[in-house]
Formats: sequence, structure tokens, C-alpha cells
Amino acid sequence: MSRPDRREASQLRALNCSLGQLNRADGSAQFSAGNTSVVSGIYGPVEAKVYEEKLDRAVVEVKFRPDIGAPTTKDKWMESAIRNTFEREILTHLHPRTLVQIVIQLREGDGSVDSAAINATSLALVDAGIPLKCMITAATCAVLSDDTTVVDPTQEEIDAARSTHTFAFASGSSTGPLYVDSRGDFTMDEYNHCYDLCALATERVLAFMRTAIEGKVTKEAKISAA
Amino acid sequence: MVAEIGPSNIESAFLLEALKKGTRVDGRGIYDYRTLKISCGPTYGLAEVQLGQTRVLARVSCEVTRPFPDRPTEGIVLFNTELSSMAGFGLDSSRSSTQEVAISRMVERVIKQSRAIDSEALCILAGEKVWTIRIDVHFLDHGGNLIDAASIAAIAALKHFRRPDVTIDGEEAIIHDVRERNPVPLSIHHTPICVTFGFFGASGDMLVLDPTLLEEQVQVSSFTITLNSHREICALNKAGGIPLSPDQIQRCTQVALAKVDEVNEKIQLALKASTA
Repeated sequence: MSRPDRREASQLRALNCSLGQLNRADGSAQFSAGNTSVVSGIYGPVEAKVYEEKLDRAVVEVKFRPDIGAPTTKDKWMESAIRNTFEREILTHLHPRTLVQIVIQLREGDGSVDSAAINATSLALVDAGIPLKCMITAATCAVLSDDTTVVDPTQEEIDAARSTHTFAFASGSSTGPLYVDSRGDFTMDEYNHCYDLCALATERVLAFMRTAIEGKVTKEAKISAA
Repeated sequence: MVAEIGPSNIESAFLLEALKKGTRVDGRGIYDYRTLKISCGPTYGLAEVQLGQTRVLARVSCEVTRPFPDRPTEGIVLFNTELSSMAGFGLDSSRSSTQEVAISRMVERVIKQSRAIDSEALCILAGEKVWTIRIDVHFLDHGGNLIDAASIAAIAALKHFRRPDVTIDGEEAIIHDVRERNPVPLSIHHTPICVTFGFFGASGDMLVLDPTLLEEQVQVSSFTITLNSHREICALNKAGGIPLSPDQIQRCTQVALAKVDEVNEKIQLALKASTA
């Protein structure tokens, strides 16, 4: 069965990103996959409030704002999921008693929002110069009612799917995923298949991110050298 | 980086000295807007405005709901302007300062109370079903003069938005899927645009158009006038600060009239570019 936008089953939508567009934030990145677009802004390391600071490491805080309406429990869930994912990969021990604040704004949502948010945050952290163990890249898969599996589903495909799975991996690591979110009715075979497809997809996302960051760094080097 | 302290004495003194000589810190003339970039879409009802270093995102959406019992033939317009932490560290929508609340109220007033949107045209079945139009304004970067940027973003998003087409058949209404029938634009009477001025000096005799964040922090008074392309004043806002003379208000109005035409043109271009 062909997909509404004529993509292959394992084909990602057109990826786009721009780094450092915001002036006040220490780092920022806008990441979009097709019509799903997310902006992530980072403040950090900044002064933490006395009651929330940790003596030996930085505190990581995440705020997720939806495109339409006030934040709901779904968004709170996303905040806590993203925080748990990034807390371990940010080298927080280098900045004790400080705060790293991640603010994510959804611009347009058309499926695979959580993976876009994770990808945007990875790029924004690099733009902010926050030390990381690795890049975190994410991708989403959906198992449709005809048992086919598609990568980077749109909202339309997600609404019709039997199950959806988002995986986030650490770059250059052969260990398991950092973040897994599986919803719906699925078999272990389907789960494993999605795992493999997402692992491949995240490699492509990583290559895209690398090109974007290299481009930005080269441009900055030219400007400062000129 | 620590939480926002405010400008240093040197910065404020430099700004005032420069203004006395008729120049602004960023080199602009006192009646010059910063570079204004408006982009709409691809989703209907999405508009992003960049005014200098200020960046605002507006998103319009719609839903079918019951009307208010005392206004059975009118649609509902909802506003949500959140000053999120992304715009500046320490800014938080849950602990809004008076300034932040003033910005939200201003933008809401400008669009709702000036009756820019035709609410009667939003009625589907009187007393039962109407369109609720929701406008979410997200502030991404606070570089000063949020009100002007937000009003431009909100009105551009409203003009860009398309709602599903509806056919009324007696007592029944059929709401067409956007894939079956092209969605239709909202009925917008006029385009209110806010123009903000900042005043400096002991008697408020020095003024600037479109203050930056630094200018906002140093100013002694602020005045916002909302005009539309029909040269009508939709709203005036001067809340506190140094008293201003009627002459100053008149001067500002004249300047604002010219500016509003420029801004309107830019909005038209952005709307055209998005449908190209």
C-alpha cells in the first residue's frame, strides 16, 4: 500500500534545520521533518535556584510548549521523557550548581513530534556549547493496519496505525536505545523490526545533523578569519 | 549567566547621550523600524515575524463548539499569548509580571475589541454550532517591542488561515473535509497594526519608534497606537510613565500612519509569497 505522500516505507521526510537563530538563548535550533517543525532553545549553564541546585552537577530542566492551546499532561510527559534522555548524556559534572534549561516550542505538528523534539534539542545543545557525551538522534516508526511498517509517519498515518514506536540512540554507540516510547498493539517481532528501521533512520538523521553543524562551523570560521 | 539585572549605568548614559544627538545605539533614525521579516505557512494560520532581534510565532486554529448562550449567532475568538522562557531566561508564563500581562492584554484587545474578525460569519447553526477561532502567540526571542511584533504576527496568521468550508442545508450543516473542498479564509474587516513609541528624558521630550530591549529598559514612558489601513485609530495605550503632551501624541499618530502602510504592504507580500 503506498503512503499518502508517495514515500517509500523506510523513507524519511525532507529534513531541514537552522542553528542559532535566536539571540537571547545561549543556543537554539529549528528542526523540521516535512510539516513537523520544532524550535528548541537552550539557556545554560545558568544560575540555578538554591532549592533546586545540585552540589556536584548541573540540573536539567525541560519545558515543552504545544503549537495550539495551553500545555496539557501529554506535554508534561514529553518534558519528563526528554529530560530523562538528555540528563544522562549532558556532562553535568562539568557544571555543578548550575541549570541547563531546555525550552521546546512546537511550531507545526504532523506526526513524529517527539523524535523531532529530541533531534532539535540535540542540535540546540551543540549550538549552545553544552558538553555532551554524544549526539542523540531519534526516529519514529508506525505499524499500520495492513502490517506494513513505515518510518517517520505523518499524523494521518499515526491516527490509522496499530502501534507507533519512537527510538532515540546515542551516536557512535553500540549499546541500546536511550529512549523508547511504544504505544498500541504489537508483537515482539514488530517491535524488533521497528527498532532496526529506526536505528537505520537515526543514522541518516545523524549524517544530516553533521552536515548542518559542519556548515555552520565552517561559516563561522570564515567570518572570524576574514 | 545570571538572571536579568538590567542595563548598567554606562549603557543607559550612552543611550541617552546618543539620543540627545539624534542617534540610536543601533544606528537607526528615531522613526525607523528594525528589519521586519514576515513568513507565513506552510500550515494555514502559521505566521512568524522577526522584528530586529525580536521573534514571535502566531498560530491560528479552529474548532466547532457551542456558542455563548447570550450570543447565539456569534463565533468565539480565543487568545493565548504566552511569554515562554525561550524568549528570555527568567521569563515564565506562570509568573507573569505586570509588563507581560499588559502585552498579552494589549494584543488580545487589539484584535478582539477592534472587531477585526467578523464573528457573525463564524456562525454555523444559530444557538448550536459556531466556529471557535483560537490564536496562540508564542514569543521566541525578546529583543524589545513585543507588542508590535505580536500584533503583526497575529493579524498575518489570521489572514493566512483557512477554515473548513461549510454548507447549510436547512437544519443541518455539513462541514467539508479540507481534502474534499478547499478551505475558506476568515472574514476579516480590517487589519489593526500596533506601533509602539518609547520616550526618554526628564520630560519625555526624546522619543523613538520600535524600541529595542535596551531602549525599553531605559525609557521613562511608552505609548502604543493601533491603526488600520483605513487610517482609523483602533486603540491607544499609554499606561503610566511620564506624562506626554497632546502634541507628542499627535506627532506619533502621524508617524504611525505612514508606518502602518509599510507594514501592511509587507504582510501582503508575505501572504502572496506563501501561496505562490
